[in-house]
Amino acid sequence: MALIYRNFRISLGNAGPILLLYFLSITEIDTEFSKTFDILSFNLQLIVIYYWALKNPDILGNSHIFFAGIINDLIMALPMGTSAMSYLIVAFVASYIRNVTVNNSLMTDWFTFLIAIFFSNLTYLILISNFSDYGLSYINLFYNSFFTFLFYPLFWLIFNIYKALIMVKIND
Amino acid sequence: MATNRDDFTIAIRSALLQKGAKQRYSLFFFICISILVFFLDSFQSKTMTSAKSLLNDGVYRISSVATSPFKFVVFIGNLSKKHFLTYNENKILKAELAKFRAKDFQNDFLKSQNRNLQEILKSSIAGDEEGVMAKVLLDKESPFLKSIIVNKGSKSKIKKGMPVVSSTYLVGRVVEVNYLSSRVLLLNDLNSRIPVEFGDRAVQSIMTGEGTSKPRLKFLPENFEALEGETIFTSGKDGVLKPGIPIGRIELFKNEPSVKLFSDPNQLSVVNIILSNFIQKNKL
Repeated sequence: MALIYRNFRISLGNAGPILLLYFLSITEIDTEFSKTFDILSFNLQLIVIYYWALKNPDILGNSHIFFAGIINDLIMALPMGTSAMSYLIVAFVASYIRNVTVNNSLMTDWFTFLIAIFFSNLTYLILISNFSDYGLSYINLFYNSFFTFLFYPLFWLIFNIYKALIMVKIND
Repeated sequence: MATNRDDFTIAIRSALLQKGAKQRYSLFFFICISILVFFLDSFQSKTMTSAKSLLNDGVYRISSVATSPFKFVVFIGNLSKKHFLTYNENKILKAELAKFRAKDFQNDFLKSQNRNLQEILKSSIAGDEEGVMAKVLLDKESPFLKSIIVNKGSKSKIKKGMPVVSSTYLVGRVVEVNYLSSRVLLLNDLNSRIPVEFGDRAVQSIMTGEGTSKPRLKFLPENFEALEGETIFTSGKDGVLKPGIPIGRIELFKNEPSVKLFSDPNQLSVVNIILSNFIQKNKL
């Protein structure tokens, strides 16, 4: 019984980032605060994907990243596959960084996250401006990217604590 | 040098093709699938459009259910806030009511005078609009898109382009229709363009969304200076919207006219989709 309970707790802990990712994609709870501060918006999905793809790729599978992107496209009325592509690019950069680096600190994670945001938004921009009729505000995109980059350390800290909690449970 | 390039290629290949212990497919596989889905959607084939419409209906409903607990919390918060503000509001409303009662007589007189004048001009008098009441399912905000999803679709005779009002104020128009749901592009969206008129001289302009809360007025006459507080109405020049739907008031910011909308796009819960113009057109 104790073993079943332990396994259940581990599964629940591991499912946290996936649930958060789907939750952010499917619900109208969002990270856009233009009502309070005109330019403040950030993309929490990118932070979640980058962090977990970098630290523990087995927790956040590629298929979940893909489906979360598709759901986000449907909710945001974007051409299907746009967010999925940009999320997968972030996962790809994270995977590359994981392959080429040995010691990860907040600073290395943070600055390599800039590369991930750059390529992710570049993909997004290319797809939207060349293959769809949607208007795009470059300045809004810039602010969004800037705040996403700025808030990374905060979520890095939160996710690190969460990761430590799950690890403790695994080693119980 | 060659070794460095080899390392880089190996790392890239590994990142693309590597599968974790619990993963069945590689990143490369999903990137290819995304590209395929994107192009299938961009070409808008009939099968893809119907499949997307079905998916939209499903996802919107799930999203609405998933969001409902949070909406309830916000609702309770707003309710308690409103409760505390009611006393003061009541005082103000009483004063305003007295003012409006006085205006009402004047309004009745103007109405009958207007009706008489229109009869003289043999112009048609628009009757009550036939509309469909729709509940806002989702109003997920995005820095790039300002839209809402409502719970009425093609089943309720909703069509693309129909105007959407809240009370009597224009809030947007329908841009996507599914069987059970539709998406309404709000006036403050970057892609929104509405022909409007205002002032005693019926100045024509195009109201364009900027992604912020206040749309701008563009294509104004040369050297034109807008007056703050003037009411903006639809001009009906696009042949889709009925003329005379109130939208908002002019506000000047650094001498640039913007529009303070009568209906706050962030506070919509029930809207009315106007059908009558379209029905009349179809009958003709």
